[in-house]
Amino acid sequence: MALTARRMEPVTILQRERPMRPDILLVLAYFALAALGIIMVYSASAPRLEAFGEDPSSLIRRHLAFVGIGVVAFVLSSAIPGRTLRTMTPAVYIGSIVTLVAVLFAPKLAGVNRWIQIGDFQFQPSEFAKVAVILVLALLLAGAHDRLRLGHIARGIALVTVPAALTFFQPDLGTMLVFSFIAIAMLFVGGTTWRQFAFLLVAAIVIAVALFQVGALREYQLTRLTAFLDPTADLDATALYNQRQSEIAIGSGGFLGKGLFEGTQTNLSFVPAQATDFIFTAVGEQLGFIGGAIVIALYSLLVWRILAAAAAGREAFTRFVAVGVATVIVFHVFVNIGMTMRLMPVTGLPLPFISAGGSAFIAMSIALGLAHSVWMRRSPVPE
Amino acid sequence: MSFGARLLVLGLAFLTLFSVLTLRLWQMQVTAAEEYRDQAETNLVRIVETPAPRGEIRDTEGRLIAGNRPALAAVVEGSLLPAADDPAIDELVQRLAAFSGLPASEIAVVLAEARERGDRETILADLNDEQAVFLVERDELFPGISVVPQPVRVYERGSSVPHVVGFIGRPDADDLEKPGIGPTDVLGKAGVEREYDEVLRGAPGIVKYQVNAQQEILETLGEQPPAPGGTLILEIDLDLQEVLNDALEQGLTLARLSHSARGCVPGDADPGCPVRAVGVVLDATDGAVLAMSSVPGYDPDLFVDGVTQAELDALPEGVFNNFAIQGQYAPASTFKAVTYVTAYENGLTPRETGSLEDEIECTGILEAPFTDASQLVWRNWKRADDGLQNIHRALVRSCNTYFWDIALNLWNEFKETAGEDQLQDWARSLGLGARTGVDLPFERHGIIPDRNLFEEWAAEQEAGGPRRLDPARLDLASPWLGGDLLQAAVGQGSVLVTPLQLATTYAAMVNGGTVWQPRVVREVVDTDGRRLLANPRQALNRVELSPRTVLQLRRDLQQVVNSPEGTAFAAFEDFGEGKSRVGGKTGTAQVIRARELEDGTTVDAVNTAIFVGVAPIDDPKYVVVVIIERGGSGGGDAAPTAKPVLQFLLNGPGAVTAVRPGAEDFD
Repeated sequence: MALTARRMEPVTILQRERPMRPDILLVLAYFALAALGIIMVYSASAPRLEAFGEDPSSLIRRHLAFVGIGVVAFVLSSAIPGRTLRTMTPAVYIGSIVTLVAVLFAPKLAGVNRWIQIGDFQFQPSEFAKVAVILVLALLLAGAHDRLRLGHIARGIALVTVPAALTFFQPDLGTMLVFSFIAIAMLFVGGTTWRQFAFLLVAAIVIAVALFQVGALREYQLTRLTAFLDPTADLDATALYNQRQSEIAIGSGGFLGKGLFEGTQTNLSFVPAQATDFIFTAVGEQLGFIGGAIVIALYSLLVWRILAAAAAGREAFTRFVAVGVATVIVFHVFVNIGMTMRLMPVTGLPLPFISAGGSAFIAMSIALGLAHSVWMRRSPVPE
Repeated sequence: MSFGARLLVLGLAFLTLFSVLTLRLWQMQVTAAEEYRDQAETNLVRIVETPAPRGEIRDTEGRLIAGNRPALAAVVEGSLLPAADDPAIDELVQRLAAFSGLPASEIAVVLAEARERGDRETILADLNDEQAVFLVERDELFPGISVVPQPVRVYERGSSVPHVVGFIGRPDADDLEKPGIGPTDVLGKAGVEREYDEVLRGAPGIVKYQVNAQQEILETLGEQPPAPGGTLILEIDLDLQEVLNDALEQGLTLARLSHSARGCVPGDADPGCPVRAVGVVLDATDGAVLAMSSVPGYDPDLFVDGVTQAELDALPEGVFNNFAIQGQYAPASTFKAVTYVTAYENGLTPRETGSLEDEIECTGILEAPFTDASQLVWRNWKRADDGLQNIHRALVRSCNTYFWDIALNLWNEFKETAGEDQLQDWARSLGLGARTGVDLPFERHGIIPDRNLFEEWAAEQEAGGPRRLDPARLDLASPWLGGDLLQAAVGQGSVLVTPLQLATTYAAMVNGGTVWQPRVVREVVDTDGRRLLANPRQALNRVELSPRTVLQLRRDLQQVVNSPEGTAFAAFEDFGEGKSRVGGKTGTAQVIRARELEDGTTVDAVNTAIFVGVAPIDDPKYVVVVIIERGGSGGGDAAPTAKPVLQFLLNGPGAVTAVRPGAEDFD
């Protein structure tokens, strides 16, 4: 008895009272990416601001503030237990739909309905909607109890279609694609058959093609995409110009890069939107292949740790949350870096934790915190 | 598949995506880094071309014919324009259209062109002061547009020598193929402006700037000033040119008045109305073109600021063509000098005479004993018999019968042998039947017909080509007949020459046999007067003419003008001092034959008047050719028109007298 009791005891302790320790590797990768982001945003913005006679540190100060808020959000969301999160999910989803509707009625900024101006801050609902979509899909898949039926798939599609349609009207093609990619990846892990998975992929492609056909895409979206698909298109067209400049900048960086603040293309501002969408261009030009490879390695580390959390999660809901978070990061990284190297069309997705942009940094930090929380509350024994 | 397995598949998929990124990064930054580095280099430099002032054109004395004056132009910098899909571009087009008065569509094309080429294109040249100030003061309304110095062509004396000088204009599709020609560039379209376009254009200057992505200039990296175009020094003498222009205008006016007392308008309604007068003055010793004119002419200034269709329609037909090299005329009796030289050099004579000095009767009618399909009865221009004539008197009196007789004898003796073409061979070796290669564009080649050419034409015609021969000839054993040789001997039939060819050939015959290539540009010099290009005299051919032939020909040409029975005697009666040093030959080419129609109405003869003058005849320096198209007779109309030119050449401006009609019925 005593033997048995002694053997049982540690199990109980582990299950209930194991102290919650942070995943050091995940946190380090997160901080490293954020720190690199701070340096690159400064390098990419300061010379240009100075040239326009403005305070060269104005953008970086804003970015630092967002990083601070983001880190706090990461810590706070790391502390949310799965149960609490589950009860919050319907409200988060509905709230997010409401803000996506609201943004359509907000005054246009830069010609699109993408931001809601709150004081000095431009709130971008679609960034937070990504988190909401992950949560609501995790809830749905957890409810299927490993027996995914067609009904679940249909509800999953419906839950994603609403925010996707709303972002389409902003218009924000990139975020729409993010929602689709999250849904397909999460449904796959949730247990679709291969046939269903194939059907979902084909359906996504058909819908994309159909949107082209009915001319629902705004003209500039078409130009960007068709210019990308047609390599003979005129390189001077604005759509391809950006990408071409970015490609030249990265390629000319070479193995070791031109050195921080020494980017002739980025610092002379040949590359547009280099503090935001094209931030990787500045990395590639100034820090070379070494710098670029380190960035990709940091993301790989991050994604590995999130997938480890997914594998070790205590309950189905939180495991699916981790899968969704990994997916959203991978999709952003691949589309964004691929865009700067002319592997992917220009869609305007930020590079997680590096690009300047408050909503994106905070939303991604929250998502990462939720995945981190899954790891900290993982099962005592690996499955 | 368990949750763990599915997670593994997802992880592997993610790994694949990140591997693709890393491989692409390696390919760009390690494998192809060098190429990208070159591209990055060119990204940083903007090259702006500054146009070179177009070279001047001056006459032989250095007098300015075409130059430039400083002016400002509105240009568009392709690299500074708003993006193609920016609404600002439409506003810009509308503003520029309102500003310039040009159609918006045209402006849009120029802007698109500038953007595509990334270079500078002209929107509006030669701005006035208000326009320039307006643009400079409102530059924020005109993004990408700037005002730059751009000299404008000025033709000081263009209307004196329009056909030699030519004019400038925008490039056509062919021109755009040439390197360095943009759609809003200006280049020579005719005359020496075209022929010497490259040297006149000079080389544009280049300024290299370091720029940022907004193409804003950070610093100047280097500068190379434009190399102005070279100055053309022509052989043309403007004083002589003006005398020739005046004479041709007077001659044309008189010819029109003699056609109809109230003057006339050329065209289909009046085929007999004199169309134009063409003149060339050639230096017989080196081929220099001293004057060249075609009346009516035009003012090249018309084209500097662009010309409207209405302006073009108001001009007489063919006004832009240089008929001295593009007009092809039957030389008529002026060709007899070629037959004359051939007869002397080859020992040809009329039938039944042993020598060219022997006299035969110049009958009004020649009956030719042809057995082929040739015409059998040939009538001289003078219907009555004209007395006993040897070759000298036959040239002075322009007796067709005598020259036909020589041709008949030649035909009888040589037909269908190698010697059959000896007359044509002489004509060709003296410079006829082929382009002279004068340094002007669009020259025509003339025609010296022979059996080969006629057989060629017949073959083309049978294959559906142009109708050049009477179809009845196609059925004959050979389309070339004895009668064709007789026609050729007096410069009729299919023989065609340009006025410049005729001058070149006469120069060769009187200078002892050197066919000088005609040229209008003597040299090209730079702005400091240093010679960039010399155009020395060049012989197209040297024919060994016996001195006796040359002396006899000069003497007989002198008699045409000086003997009371010469065909040009009346025209030169008031020549004044030095008339004995003038020689020449008249010609009257039949354009429309006089005949009676079936309804009883008559068609009047229409003839083109030709005169070739040579002076001083004892040591020939100048050859003057005057042709009045549909203008009457050589002795009655062309010779009197050439007279003031020869007076000027021999005795200077004070000796010139007005054109006065000569004797009407002289050939």
